[in-house]
Amino acid sequence: MLTVSVISPEAVLFEGQTDSVVAPAFDGQVGILTGHAPMVTLLGTGELRLGGAGKRFQVEGGFLQVVDDVVRVVTEHAKAM
Amino acid sequence: MAKGRELKGRIKSVENTRKITRTMEMVATSKMKRAQDRVVAARPYALALADVISSLYSPELAERFPLLRQPTAPRRVALIVLTSNRGLAGGFNANLIKAARVQIAEIEKAGTRVEVHVIGKKGIGYFKYVGRELASQRIDVTDRPTAENASEIVDALMAEYIAGELDGVYVTYAKFVSALSTPPATERILPVTPPTAKSKEGVAVGVQHDYLLYPDAEAILTELLPSYVRNAVYRALVETVAGEQSARRTAMKNATDNAGDILNVLRRTYNRARQAQITQEIAEIVGGAAALQG
Repeated sequence: MLTVSVISPEAVLFEGQTDSVVAPAFDGQVGILTGHAPMVTLLGTGELRLGGAGKRFQVEGGFLQVVDDVVRVVTEHAKAM
Repeated sequence: MAKGRELKGRIKSVENTRKITRTMEMVATSKMKRAQDRVVAARPYALALADVISSLYSPELAERFPLLRQPTAPRRVALIVLTSNRGLAGGFNANLIKAARVQIAEIEKAGTRVEVHVIGKKGIGYFKYVGRELASQRIDVTDRPTAENASEIVDALMAEYIAGELDGVYVTYAKFVSALSTPPATERILPVTPPTAKSKEGVAVGVQHDYLLYPDAEAILTELLPSYVRNAVYRALVETVAGEQSARRTAMKNATDNAGDILNVLRRTYNRARQAQITQEIAEIVGGAAALQG
């Protein structure tokens, strides 16, 4: 399982476990499953999907960081959908 | 019983004042709690940003980012002063203004021009009073500052800094150390002091991992450094609001306590006057009766 948090300047919008993350990276969609190598990628504009929990967010800019199955989506503009 | 009536009027008036200050205290307490929650809620974002920036940043990269440019002889800097829109918060605004004044004097002593940007009616009022020209002023930042407020305030300054028109940006705000301690503080937000790898507030920041970077460290930092600056301003905004409410709470608590003390004294004086009058009346009646009998 991945431990995911979606963080905006004002608050942590989501924190929990999911089995996959699909994020809108700056150059296209990026999918993350457990065991992913440590990564930092810029985000573009689009929909962030947190697999199992079925949570979706509209994000714009910011970055995504993966370390040891912990995923952090850090963005100035994020809205739950 | 002229004196008694007078005292009664004063007691009533102090009671009414106490009612108001007590209400303000309770309102400030609940607003402070909410503001405090926002200060806490803003931490994960700041930590996450600091973590990634510090793990990607290396001094060799510094020259490539205009936001990290270290001016040798600053000619013109900007100072953002955060104050509140409302008073009755004890020395809160006075302290902030004093800190700003000290900062301005210090920068100007070095021969640098300072342009002052003021947020909040109280600060604007002061600078207008001393006749200092303000580069910008705004009073529309509410009890709930947003990240947008922060970027409205600082984006233009960042652009000027990148263009080389400004050589530094400082912000004077109330640091929210605890509910009882909100000292004014001045922080330099430009040029950016990159966060360094260390444990911050108990969380390890900037641990080196072999990150896969997309597109690359430089592009990521180009994106994140402005966010870091905006976040510094956002944090200053929320901390100042929390500080304002806690200062108001303290001021109103003191006012309520003082009103209580004054009431005690007034009531004692009133009762003594009343008793004295009754005693005197009895003495007169007894005296009158004795005169008739005699």
